[in-house]
Amino acid sequence: MRKLGWQQWLVLTLFLAALIVAGLFGVRGVRHALYWSTHRDVPIRAWMPVPYIAHSYRVPPHVLYQALGISPAHPHDKRPLRVIARDQNRPVEEIISLLQETIARERASGPPPPAPRARPSEGGTPP
Amino acid sequence: MSLSDYLLGMLGLYGPPALFCVLLVGAIGVPTPGSLLLLVAGSFVEQGEMGLWPVLALGFAGSVVGDQVGYALGRWGGRRLSARLSRWVGGEQRLRSAEDWLKRRQGGAIFLSRWLLSPLGSVVNITAGLTGYPWPRFLLYDLLGEALWVTLYVLLGRFFSDRVEEVSEMLGDFTWAFAGLLLAALLGWSLLRNLRAPSAEELKAGRGGAVADETS
Repeated sequence: MRKLGWQQWLVLTLFLAALIVAGLFGVRGVRHALYWSTHRDVPIRAWMPVPYIAHSYRVPPHVLYQALGISPAHPHDKRPLRVIARDQNRPVEEIISLLQETIARERASGPPPPAPRARPSEGGTPP
Repeated sequence: MSLSDYLLGMLGLYGPPALFCVLLVGAIGVPTPGSLLLLVAGSFVEQGEMGLWPVLALGFAGSVVGDQVGYALGRWGGRRLSARLSRWVGGEQRLRSAEDWLKRRQGGAIFLSRWLLSPLGSVVNITAGLTGYPWPRFLLYDLLGEALWVTLYVLLGRFFSDRVEEVSEMLGDFTWAFAGLLLAALLGWSLLRNLRAPSAEELKAGRGGAVADETS
């Protein structure tokens, strides 16, 4: 067999490194896909406007607007939570907790949300 | 607060014009989460907060205009860089052969870097300009690739409208996995070709043999 020079060794090392990187990202992607095919509730983030949260959590937007002391209008108030928090002089974390409590209350009192495409949420954190 | 969160907030507030601006600067090379913004825009379309056609039209226009600016920067602003690079890589001749190779292969790279390997898009724009890749062909591949990217991501955003950030993360993983596989394939092919080529000793022996044949 032909002896490898340093350049061939370098290319071989890079080849193996590229394969490892591809494998790691591939496995991570598949794990994410499997997790999010069976879980629904995404974490509430400061960039999200109220209609997006209502859509994600399958609750009527007016319930969330009322919880925040905003009158539900058409077209919807599209300010992100960060801006609502600033306008109301409150920390955004407080707004997020308030929305989480409202969603939990709404789900407990109202009819169950429509069946998701896969299994319903089981809580927990993404992999 | 991250830049990504700020831009997503702007998209919710100002709609498709914000998408136009972010995709434009992203195509020039400013690191912006373009794919994530397209997914979120698709989600807003699904919720009825934005129209599908304005999102598609302004997203497409922003990315194509930004790509042309990136190409122009490489073409007319990259001469000094090109001269410095040619000294760095070891002479004008070597840079010329790299440019020739790129000119032959760049069509596929331009198309794929619009949608499948989108993080490489801005680098490919500047390289295409720098190597003097013909602009009409660049524009053709660019229009095709960007149309695919914008439509695909907006539709994915519509379909997975309640969990776009998570889908974006997953697509990012698959993009890097594909990039790794592509790089591995290129390196593997280069290694195989190199190993199959006759070594310097074999060439010398072959030539020696031929000289011996001629003299006998």
